[in-house]
Parts: sequence; C-alpha cells; structure tokens
Amino acid sequence: MGASDPTGFLYPFIEAEERDARPLLTALAGSAQAKAAESAALQQATLAASAGLLAACGAAMAGRFAAGGRMYAFGNGGSATDCATFAALFASPPARSADGGPPGCRALPALNLAADQAVVTAVGNDVGFDLIFSRQIIGHAAQRDIAVAFSTSGSSRDLMAALGEARRRGLLTVGFAGYDGGEMAHSDAVDYCFVVRSQSVHRIQESQAILGYHLWASTQRAIAKPAPTPNGGTE
Amino acid sequence: MTTGITAEMLDGGLAEDLAAASLAMARRFARGATLWCVAPGSEPHAHHMAVEFVHPVIVGKRALPAFALTGSGLVPRARVAVRPGDILTAVAGAADEVVADLMRPAPAWGAASAWIGAGPRPAAGAADHVLWIADQDPMAAATGGFVLLYHLLWELTHVCFEHPGLLRPEPECADDGCITCGDEGRLAEVVGRAADELDPSGLGRSGFGSRALVRTAAGEETIDVTLVAPVSVGDLVLVHAGAALTRPGSA
Repeated sequence: MGASDPTGFLYPFIEAEERDARPLLTALAGSAQAKAAESAALQQATLAASAGLLAACGAAMAGRFAAGGRMYAFGNGGSATDCATFAALFASPPARSADGGPPGCRALPALNLAADQAVVTAVGNDVGFDLIFSRQIIGHAAQRDIAVAFSTSGSSRDLMAALGEARRRGLLTVGFAGYDGGEMAHSDAVDYCFVVRSQSVHRIQESQAILGYHLWASTQRAIAKPAPTPNGGTE
Repeated sequence: MTTGITAEMLDGGLAEDLAAASLAMARRFARGATLWCVAPGSEPHAHHMAVEFVHPVIVGKRALPAFALTGSGLVPRARVAVRPGDILTAVAGAADEVVADLMRPAPAWGAASAWIGAGPRPAAGAADHVLWIADQDPMAAATGGFVLLYHLLWELTHVCFEHPGLLRPEPECADDGCITCGDEGRLAEVVGRAADELDPSGLGRSGFGSRALVRTAAGEETIDVTLVAPVSVGDLVLVHAGAALTRPGSA
C-alpha cells in the first residue's frame, strides 16, 4: 500500500497489511536527522543564552570548592543519571583537558544523592519520597557546600524540598530546568537557574548535558585562577 | 574539540543505522524481548537508557522490559540473564574489552546486539548494530551525544509500533549473507560436558570428551567437538550439522 494509493485513507487498519519496511526506514532516518538538528540548535541557543550565568556560577562554585566545600547533585529518573554523569565529571575528570583548554583538571568532591539505594529507599519508605534528597542535605551538608538539582519540569517536589533545605543551610544552590523554568526559575531558594527552553523532555536533557559540561569547565577555569571570591559568596 | 551535538552528527550512515536498529528492536520487543543495557565506563548511561524504555516520558507510550547491568562480572551475569530473543546494548568506546567480550557471544545467546559509541569504530561485525558518532569529541559521554542516540532509539522504536505489519520476525536470510542456513555455521558457546560424558574418568586433559553441551540461539544441544578440541566452558565455536567445525575468526 504505497503513499500514492489515493484510497489508503479508507482502510484504518492498513498498517497491519504493511509489508515493505523501506518507506518506514527512510522516514525513521529522516526523523532522526531532524531531531539531531533540533537538538544541536537547542544546545547552541541554550549555551548562548547562558554564557554569563555559566561564568558567574562556575566562579561561585570554584569559591565553595576552594573553601573545602563539596557538591551534592540530585535528580529523578533520567535526570538522576544525568546528575550522576555531571558529578562524575567533577569527581573523576578526564586525564587530559576536555577541549584543549587548560591541562591538569582538578578532581573535586562531588556526590550523586540518587546513587545510594539504601538511603533513597529508607527515606522514601519512612518519611516520604518528597524528602529523599532534603533528608540527605540535612544529614550531609555544611554552609560551604553546593547543591545542584537536575529537573526537566523545574518543579519536582523532592528537588524543591532539597533546594529549600540547602538554602536554609547557606549552601550555594544551582538548578537545571526545562520548559519555562518551572518553580526553580522563580524560587528564592535557587542562586543560579539554567533553563533549557524546550517542550521536549529528551531535547531538554540533551541540552542540560552540554550545560553541565560547560559549568564544569567554567568551574575548572575559575579554580585554576587565584581565588577571586575566597568565601564563595554569591551576593 | 568539544562540540556537543551537531546537525551533521548523524550523517554518513548513522541515521540509517539508528533506523535499522530501531526496527529490529521493535520486532524483538513485539515478541517479548528484554533490553539489557551496559556502559562499563559511564554507567549512568546504562541506567538512563533502561529507564527510557521502562518508564517512558511520554504519557501513553507502553512500558517495555529493560534493565541496566552495572558493576563487575558483566559477562557471567549477562550470560545467565539474557534469553533468546533479547537485545543487548552497550554504550562504550571501541577499545572497551568487557563490551567486546559481551558482544562476541551474543549471537550464541540468541541476542541482537547494538553498540553505541564515538571516535574510532569497533571492528566490522563487532555488533549487529554499530551506532557510531564519527567525530572524535573526547567528551562525547558528557556532552549529550550518547543521550541523543539512545533517546532516538527509544523514539524511533515506538514509531515502529505504529506499523504492526512490519513487526513480524526478521527474514531468515538477510541481504548481506546468511549464516543460519548456509555452510558458515551457527555460533555456539560451550556450556559443559555432554550429559553422557559426565564421568570425568577417561576424558582428556580439558575434562571434555569428543562431545560437549553448547548453547546456540536455538537452545542447548550436544555436539561433536573433536575438530576444535580441546575446548573449555565459555569457548565459542561454529556449529554445522551437529559438529563444531572451527572457532570464529580462525577461518
């Protein structure tokens, strides 16, 4: 049943009779190309819109690390894995510099709060899922530390609870969001909020990856300089 | 140079490779396959890929069985976990020996295989579907390229479900040659001694006699291994007409 058949619309179940996979494969390849182009354009637009924020946030994070602080990263689902990749960049950076930039990247203390199955399930079961990260912030964090939340909606309740707890304890707080930024974009609990302006969870996550990479690179550049903000304050 | 995702990233055949892999995966899912995801050097990618399939971000898309396999001992764990008809995927560089060790026996386990990576490609035939970003972005694992590829695999697989007529089993003989019914032989993995040779007395130094129990895509069978002796558990051999003729790669 080719696309040229003018009566195809009369047969709603015609897909069940489809036998030639070639038109589908061609359409799938075209769709993949279009989505890659969309993702590439979104990455570039996001980086362009976030350039100033990346530099400022990287400098503030460098100040916290220089003061002996740790970074805690957290997120749900795919964002939990993306924050794990982000934390691993800090904790075990590539041996050589990422893009021909300054050699000798420093490993920095960074932890993924979604990683420990015992803690996540214990807190989730005993006091509620919304507190799985904030309970860990209470247990682990000190004022000189950094909290980084990865979300596509920007409004996940467990992330907002953890950011609020981090704010109360004086941590530097960073949010990654999508869509219009959600609650993170307007919350007093977030010092630096990176928003990927897209309606697709997948495209948002792909751009959050490049943002995370550049935030790491910005932090590395700032920490290689003589400390400009010794206490890592964010004003 | 760290480029992140580019509009040209899927040029040179990768878009077509993703399309073919997605249709093959959809056909297997339609018959009950489980997807196994490994990423030894960057395990979050294994978890991310699996959760895409288990808990889709788009409401209304069906949940599909997928597991991340992480930690140590991946080969023996995959050997018992993977069932005939399953799909084995890896996100890793071409030099990853654990992934190569997983991909090699996959046909004997009856699993289709896909290998996602960047930079220098694995050897031809290293996996059924080699989904490779040609550009050498040294940070591809952290700048979104790999995430894009498994997002696309998920998105395209679900498009295939809208074409039930195309989800019937793959043709027995593919265009690029058939090893199922030709003289080349089927890949088999040695599981243990033949049932009637379980008494080790009188067997060779390897503990095997002239026959061995092997696993192929069709299940377990006992074959003659005289031509490839001595064999050990885990060895891969090519079987034809009830006998191991040779070992793969030894022409």
